[in-house]
Amino acid sequence: MAIWPALASFGVLIAAQTYSILTSPAEGDMGHLQKIMYVHVPAAWMTFLCFFVVLLFSVRYLWKRRESDDLLAASAAEVGAVFNGLTLLLGMIWGRPAWGVWWAWDARLTSTLVLFLIFVGYLALRGFVDDPQQRARWSAGVGIIGAINVPLVYMSVTWWRTLHQPPSSPATLDPAYTMGLRLNAIALLFVMIYFIRTRYHIARTERAVEEAAQQAAMGATPR
Amino acid sequence: MIESNINFVVAAYAVTWIALLAYVIRLFRKGRLARAALSRVTRNDGGES
Repeated sequence: MAIWPALASFGVLIAAQTYSILTSPAEGDMGHLQKIMYVHVPAAWMTFLCFFVVLLFSVRYLWKRRESDDLLAASAAEVGAVFNGLTLLLGMIWGRPAWGVWWAWDARLTSTLVLFLIFVGYLALRGFVDDPQQRARWSAGVGIIGAINVPLVYMSVTWWRTLHQPPSSPATLDPAYTMGLRLNAIALLFVMIYFIRTRYHIARTERAVEEAAQQAAMGATPR
Repeated sequence: MIESNINFVVAAYAVTWIALLAYVIRLFRKGRLARAALSRVTRNDGGES
């Protein structure tokens, strides 16, 4: 596995974070706490993107039955779980000084936790099922059903009264913070693509090992 | 208040980097193990045939 894509994507992330930390002024109400937005919001966006990739390749697997689609969906689910867990942790770190609590069972936080549990359930399911075709079919089903939660998470702050503020985006932000948010989102997108691509190559190798082991077991069965 | 806020900001960036680097290390280890398993399996296949 080549090291340079990792170095390049993390290099872009370091540059984006340095730029946003150094150039964004302290916010009127929250002070420097606002800088958590540059990691929390892009991590949440990457979570949504990962689940979109899971949905896309799950549907394509059920349609075309190509193994590569199943492996891509599974790779995106694992990376999505990482970003989803990170989003929850960063939200808790922001919530303690901003709201006075680490966690509240409001609609945004709870639906994001449910999304994380769906990712974990999807990965656990893949670990339980031995037959590759059955595993791919069941995973695709969970991936498609689980994707229903994504718009629910996104719209939760609009549909319900929540402790969480409305969605942050370049359109709703003060111009002083928009460039920093855009750069961090692009940087984390590079990291996400690197993660999914690498995980997919590993998944293909693991699948080749699984196939070879199954063939060896069939060959060793007495007739 | 501002000082304690900075502690939370530092914690957030530290958690981000720990999570991302931990996952990269996991990927590297998983990749190495998978490649080793594949070469073992293909070597065994070659030995039997």
